[in-house]
Amino acid sequence: MPGIDESLLEAMRLPGARGALVVDWISGLALGAVGDAPGGDAEATAAETAELARQAMESGTLAPADDKAAGTAGKEPPVEDLILTGADAYHLLRFVVTTFDSTVFLYLWLDRADGNLALARIRLAEMADRLVLG
Amino acid sequence: MTTAARTGGSAPELLGTLAADHATGALSTESGIFYLSAGHVVHVESAYSPDLGDLLTRSGAVPPAGWWDAVERAGAVHRVGRQLVDSGRLTTGALELCHLGALFDAAYFALVHGGAALRFRPGVAHWLGAVRPVPVATVLRESRRRRDLLHRIWPDSAVDTAPLTRAAGADPDRLPPRRGRTLALVDGGRTAAQIASVLAHRTFHTLVELRRLAADGLVTPAPPPPATPVHPVPDAGGAAWDEPDTALLRRLLDALEAL
Repeated sequence: MPGIDESLLEAMRLPGARGALVVDWISGLALGAVGDAPGGDAEATAAETAELARQAMESGTLAPADDKAAGTAGKEPPVEDLILTGADAYHLLRFVVTTFDSTVFLYLWLDRADGNLALARIRLAEMADRLVLG
Repeated sequence: MTTAARTGGSAPELLGTLAADHATGALSTESGIFYLSAGHVVHVESAYSPDLGDLLTRSGAVPPAGWWDAVERAGAVHRVGRQLVDSGRLTTGALELCHLGALFDAAYFALVHGGAALRFRPGVAHWLGAVRPVPVATVLRESRRRRDLLHRIWPDSAVDTAPLTRAAGADPDRLPPRRGRTLALVDGGRTAAQIASVLAHRTFHTLVELRRLAADGLVTPAPPPPATPVHPVPDAGGAAWDEPDTALLRRLLDALEAL
């Protein structure tokens, strides 16, 4: 049964993975870090990706249309993941859904030449589920 | 190695010394307790933040009977965290996430509400047991960062402790879900810690929402209970009292942003 470090190490086994974090998107705290971080500073990466994640989570426009009608508002996050494409890397953020108050996401820094974005997105989603559901 | 009980120093200084000494024991401040093992922070408790049991049971993640069963079976041997995982009630990852959430939340309030260290009890361990120990320096740095984050959002710390009032016309349904649920509980009587407790949310994370609401003018610290004015002011309505404070805060905010 994986903990934070095991999940991050698993993410690092993906082709092209450069670094991985577990980040709280309200406080900006990195709860775990493995590998490198863009700019060499994992705490700065955590704080900046958290701000990005928060903007996405709080966007009323991007939320699913039936969110409020279905009465699921607040139960499921309105956003599942974020993909940022840079000249040399992908930045992948996958929200972790928990019953208790956690507000965290998995972050993966993926080399653009060596990485497989579709595979990484699927694997990161599985890791986010396994981290809290077993 | 143990450090003799001391009082009088600031909590961050003493925590630094205890970390360097690889100390094990419990350090009390006016508003919380740090549990150390071999110089690392293994748990923190504060009256201002919900503890791990509150977060898990009140959210429905663990049934109360399951939580108390784990406490009964493993509390005496300081392994309640491990027991929750071994009995299949939580994954290791879920326990670590919830535990770290509670630890950093309590640490913020244990440091912010009372800088003074009151007492260190060598050898004392917490019944939860070690889940994911954190270096003292990380806890201190994060608490400072959190204080600065709140300040950047809205520089009035009265929001953190005073009973809060909702502005007329403030509509929770028009806000991001988390902020809306927080606003819905602002009733003129509850404080931030009480709202966090009702939501089973961490208190710092509730402060972030409340300071954003305050910055948007949707929430204000409730006026103190009416008392006989010492110097009666003619025509001193509520709005007249609020005006100077708001203007001062806006100037403060402008000045801070200009730095």
